[in-house]
Amino acid sequence: MPSSAATPASSLKSPEPAALPAVEFRDVSKRFYFYEHRTSSLREWFIRRVLHRPIHVRHTAFSLRDIDLRVDAGESVALLGANGSGKSTVLRLVAGIYHASSGVVETNGRITAVIELGAGFHPELTGAENVGLYAAVLGLTRKELAERYEEIVEFAAMEGFLDTPLKYYSSGMEARLAFSVAVCLQPAILLLDEVLAVGDRAFRHRCLERLRMFHARGGTLLLVSHELEQVRELCTRGVWLRDGQVVMDGDIESVLTAYRAGPG
Amino acid sequence: MTATLLKASTRPPRLVRVWRYRELLRGLVVRNLKVKYQRSLLGFVWTLVNPLLTVTILVVVFSHVVRIQVPDYWAFLLSGYFVWNFMLQTLNTGTYIFTEHSRLIRSVAFPSEILVFGAAGSRLIEFCAEIALILVALTVMHHHHLPASYALLPVLILIQLLLAIGLALPIATLSVFYHDVYHALPIALTTLFYLSPVFYPARMVPEAARPFYFLNPIAGLLTLYQDVVYAGRLPDPLLLFGTASAAVVICLVGYAIFRRYAGVFAEIA
Repeated sequence: MPSSAATPASSLKSPEPAALPAVEFRDVSKRFYFYEHRTSSLREWFIRRVLHRPIHVRHTAFSLRDIDLRVDAGESVALLGANGSGKSTVLRLVAGIYHASSGVVETNGRITAVIELGAGFHPELTGAENVGLYAAVLGLTRKELAERYEEIVEFAAMEGFLDTPLKYYSSGMEARLAFSVAVCLQPAILLLDEVLAVGDRAFRHRCLERLRMFHARGGTLLLVSHELEQVRELCTRGVWLRDGQVVMDGDIESVLTAYRAGPG
Repeated sequence: MTATLLKASTRPPRLVRVWRYRELLRGLVVRNLKVKYQRSLLGFVWTLVNPLLTVTILVVVFSHVVRIQVPDYWAFLLSGYFVWNFMLQTLNTGTYIFTEHSRLIRSVAFPSEILVFGAAGSRLIEFCAEIALILVALTVMHHHHLPASYALLPVLILIQLLLAIGLALPIATLSVFYHDVYHALPIALTTLFYLSPVFYPARMVPEAARPFYFLNPIAGLLTLYQDVVYAGRLPDPLLLFGTASAAVVICLVGYAIFRRYAGVFAEIA
């Protein structure tokens, strides 16, 4: 464990007291409960009742344990770590999909979370209809969508397919369309969970361009990715998680170096 | 506990968030109807065929075999059957709506009751088309004039919507935790079909049993429809007021039950 290289989060950036942080976690833990009765049935319930067996067998698993994290507006932060280390849980807590078991999560600014590309897409609807629905899912009004529709279509570069039902799209095209909606929303905080590996090379290049522009304009970016080269290009700060705890938090180069050397 | 309280205070109230997502509600209603009717030549006709077939069978059985003494029995049946059909379908939707959209619930923070509202909303649009056809048929072939009582229909439709949402929300909530609901609900609804005045008028129920009979708010709703649409008269104000209050209370309680558990849907559904 490369603990010698670890930098405490507080010493990295001198926090400006006037500015509100984009995201702040104070002593946040997230526990998940697994109930054994979850997939069981009334029959099971009755048998257990009669035999005086416990009905709810509750297992607890920590996904995050006492996390403190402060992300200032305009930062671009990469979350690194092995599968199951709690990266996606952090993003879901920021987005408000999960609620913290203890501690406080505070966010300032409009958030767009892309946890799964194209969740809410319907195969029977056309590309254009799906763009409208996905934008609505992400919280856009019709007026806001109308202002951005051209940009979304142009970014996706698939004008010829917009009136085709989504089920005839290739999976790459579908992901491209979803990603285009997400990046054209101009939120204050953008959360991306392993969704950068979509489309062909040209499209990926444009995505990275787009995200750089988003960052340059002062947007806050939180990124989960296993493609370390992309991470190095996009982010200035890295947070390495293991078993739901922050192992290391610092500038991206040093965290990446330690992460590459460290065990998973 | 403190975390939840603090968190709740920084977030806008639930209904404000629902209002902000009204565009999604509209999108879902349109999507539901589009997906159902596109690439189908007869479209809405299919929606009518199934209930009309049932109505035909019921008319044959209850006016020629078991004779229910109601003039123009077909008109009586039409005035309530489609209301029952609306309740049945909306409540059934509740058993799978959250599992059907589990990917969405796991990846976007939005007020998930919108899914239930959207299902009820698209069904309501179909119902409005159905009841319009029924009104035309009854005006021409049963009343032979336009009854003033029709003016009360918007109120009845509102009661019906509140009742459907108030029952569908807790059903949908329970379905997230127990698959049993999916199997149990059809049985419960079949029972309720016979315990509600769908194919017989509530006045045939023995006087002594009637107070208990009307504990079922759907019985009140159907009777209201039969008064307004079939009999063409204004309903008993007490029944109207009672059913409306029951619908409001059921809606509030159902919504409260849903809200109690909605926070963990993303972890379970």
